[in-house]
Amino acid sequence: QTKWDLPAAYPATNFHSVNLATFASDVAKATDGKLAITVHPGASLFKAPEIKRAVQGGQAQAGEILLAAYQNEWQMFGADGLPFLATGYDDAMKLYKAQKPILEKKLGEQGMQLLYTVPWPPQGIYSKKAVTSAADLKGSKWRAYSPATSRIAELVGAQPVTVQAAELSQALATGAVEANMTSGATGVDSKLYEHLKFYYDVQAWLPKNAVIVNKRAFDALDKATQDAVLKAAADAETRGWAASQKVNTDTLAVLKANGMAVEPPSATLKADMMKVGDTMLKEWLEKAGPEGQAMLDGYKK
Amino acid sequence: MHRTALSARNLLMRKILDALYLGSAWLAALFMIGVLVMVLLSIFGRLLQFYVPGTDAYAGYAMAGAGFLALAHTLKSGEHIRVTLIIGKLTGSARRGLELWSLSVAVLLAALLAVYSWRLAWQSHQFHDISTAADATPLWIPQILMGVGTTVLLIAFVDEWVLELRQRRHHDAGSTRHE
Amino acid sequence: MSEFVVTTLLIVSLFALLGSGVWIGLTLAGVAWIGMELFSPRPAGDAMAITIWGSASSWTLTALPLFVWMGEILFRTKLSESMFKGLAPWVNALPGRLLHTNILGCTIFAAVSGSSAATCATIGKMSIPELSKRGYPADKIVGSLGGASTLGLLIPPSIIMIVYGVAAEVSIAKLFMAGVVPGLLLGALFSGYIMVWALFNPSQVPLSDTRLTLAQKLVESRHLIPVVLLIGGVIGTIYTGIATATEAAAVGVVGALVLSAAQGSLTWATFRDSLLGATRLYCMIALILSGAAFLTLAMGYIGLPRHLAEYVTGLNLSPVVLIIALALFYMLLGCFLDGISMIVLTMGVILPTVSAAGIDLIWFGVFVVIVVEMAQITPPVGFNLFVLQGMTKREITWIAKVTIPYFFLMVLALALLWWFPQIATWLPGRM
Ligand code: NA
Ligand code: NA
Repeated sequence: QTKWDLPAAYPATNFHSVNLATFASDVAKATDGKLAITVHPGASLFKAPEIKRAVQGGQAQAGEILLAAYQNEWQMFGADGLPFLATGYDDAMKLYKAQKPILEKKLGEQGMQLLYTVPWPPQGIYSKKAVTSAADLKGSKWRAYSPATSRIAELVGAQPVTVQAAELSQALATGAVEANMTSGATGVDSKLYEHLKFYYDVQAWLPKNAVIVNKRAFDALDKATQDAVLKAAADAETRGWAASQKVNTDTLAVLKANGMAVEPPSATLKADMMKVGDTMLKEWLEKAGPEGQAMLDGYKK
Repeated sequence: MHRTALSARNLLMRKILDALYLGSAWLAALFMIGVLVMVLLSIFGRLLQFYVPGTDAYAGYAMAGAGFLALAHTLKSGEHIRVTLIIGKLTGSARRGLELWSLSVAVLLAALLAVYSWRLAWQSHQFHDISTAADATPLWIPQILMGVGTTVLLIAFVDEWVLELRQRRHHDAGSTRHE
Repeated sequence: MSEFVVTTLLIVSLFALLGSGVWIGLTLAGVAWIGMELFSPRPAGDAMAITIWGSASSWTLTALPLFVWMGEILFRTKLSESMFKGLAPWVNALPGRLLHTNILGCTIFAAVSGSSAATCATIGKMSIPELSKRGYPADKIVGSLGGASTLGLLIPPSIIMIVYGVAAEVSIAKLFMAGVVPGLLLGALFSGYIMVWALFNPSQVPLSDTRLTLAQKLVESRHLIPVVLLIGGVIGTIYTGIATATEAAAVGVVGALVLSAAQGSLTWATFRDSLLGATRLYCMIALILSGAAFLTLAMGYIGLPRHLAEYVTGLNLSPVVLIIALALFYMLLGCFLDGISMIVLTMGVILPTVSAAGIDLIWFGVFVVIVVEMAQITPPVGFNLFVLQGMTKREITWIAKVTIPYFFLMVLALALLWWFPQIATWLPGRM
């Protein structure tokens, strides 16, 4: 019997983690228990930023990572974190198809293999005050938790503020943070509706979680087991994309039920944000080079 | 003549080692100030509306520097704690035996820590492991602090081990008061 | 390999290494190494380095060294002396007199700091010398400090509540509210215990110097102004949004430096001593935290806490028996793991069972935090014991012995929490 450890960063009840648990039990069933995958959710084995290198170095055979978080390392990882490039699930799937071969090649060079990806629900704008145009965000304290979110803040003239997820709740209560950009799902998980009253469903981007496996660990499996893993991964991908859409609908309803105004962006806000997106795409292309352009052409085709 | 040369060399060695521990402790203290400065920067950034990306990450690296670089000095000051319930009751060669045993275990573990700390930094460099936060620091750079700190700790433990063997070790290091 | 053999072997190696005088942080790392090499197919070294680096450079911890530094600065000012002068006239009427300053000080400082080690180090640095100087018995000084400083976890802000809140997906704001009344209740229980003890042992409590009229008491209270300004200032920055709970520690250091300068006790020598002293005390804690982080990782690989938790939840117990079983389970686990590890390693398994049993997750959060508080003072691995050993240079067994009464008071608090769940649920329900 082969045993794999699969660290993941999100709580056991999160839909990504639930999907992972099903994936692990599918593999166990399909291989008659020959491959046992232990999922370690909630950062109980490795913390989020450590998971990729733990898989790369063989400390864990597989793991779940947020691709866009690794943009600092390689621009292409951040392609699904570019605001307003792919909004909505259909576009996100198209982007994934354009991104996939490049991702697979890079992960292969790093001694890893991509098993499947599942997107988070689309990212919207949470705000204390009503926002009808980007000008309304000027000067408001905007939580910057990634290079992209801090750049957006700069472009709309908001004040980027560093507050860790753990302290977000208190920072919102005291007004240290007045605006935040994340999905409806994360908004429900961190109970943003307790302090912020407006949600604008701008569908800025759909960042993907990727489940990756160490190449040596995968190659050490026999062919039948490898096929079982790939089959279970394909199923998990289909299941995960559907689950994500359902979570999106459900959580937006929860936000509403908790007294939030959940609205589509006004035409002005949408146009303003598209401009931000264009600027950031241009900046990204400068850094990502021909590889980025090729992926973009593939996506726009 | 031979003896004095030897003791002069020992004295020099002693001076070098003590300077190493103290120097690295002072570096640790500077990193402690670094933690303060980084956290204050993020507070004042919010108040005065300027943005320094990655202050939280830098505070973390500075904290790691403060912790690791002070390891040896803290050991030499007898402030790393241990249970001396049994060791404290022993005298003579029994005491020396147990001290040598615990120092040997410590040397082994400190060596493992040092080796794998350097390997961590080296692998981070190989993997191009870059901080995922706004600071985007290549992680091998701050991880050098862990390598240096654990190596100096290893040297300090070997130092203690040799002193114990030569019966020159002060036995108050790390021991506790007894009732 | 049966779980029983694994457990026995790890516990035996823990006691053997600790008993033979190996430094505590290294012992934890050694036990983790043995566990990983023997009972998991994964090599230990690289995983150890990743985890120790992650924990040593984690932003969430930055408040700890800063609070330690704040304590070292205050220790070198006249603040603690004047604080005792100001409090003395008020607590002198209570049996146990100045011992209550430990409880009071920790309860108040708990509202500033989210960790119990920081509470213990900061308050202890000031109160241990002052109380010893006045002739209070050492066991009561150290015991009340060890017990009361665990309140840092229950009274908001609290790191452990954030960890639980994320795992259980409950509102952290409500959890914080839920901790307030139980925290005050525990403080009252601790003070009550000291009074009862003092009534039975009047000879052990030093006599008060003078009897004062109310007017004189108020005049004496002027000595409290600096400490009220400092603590009030730090709490104020948290609740006005100037600083987050973690950043508040930096405000505390700056405040302490300003206070020290205002009193004329800030010289290069005191600054240097406070800085180096804080660096060493923090370094001592950091080595143990590193060992503990590696042990947590090894436990994650070996799966021992997870399997134990699966066993407990698989018993299909009624709610009351389940809670008793979980309390015992966490008390046992708490002897060997630190609080955050206990939660991270077991919540995924425990929470579904707890919510299926119809137990309110906010209530359960308070329950878990109290159990984690108990873990801080149970040997062999108890962080408050380590901090106290570092500060007092006494044997850990002696420290564990003098804090036992407070452990049982927390058991009592758990029972009260079960009988009167409103203690935890009333305040958040009003939000
Ligand atoms: Na607290
Ligand atoms: Na304990």
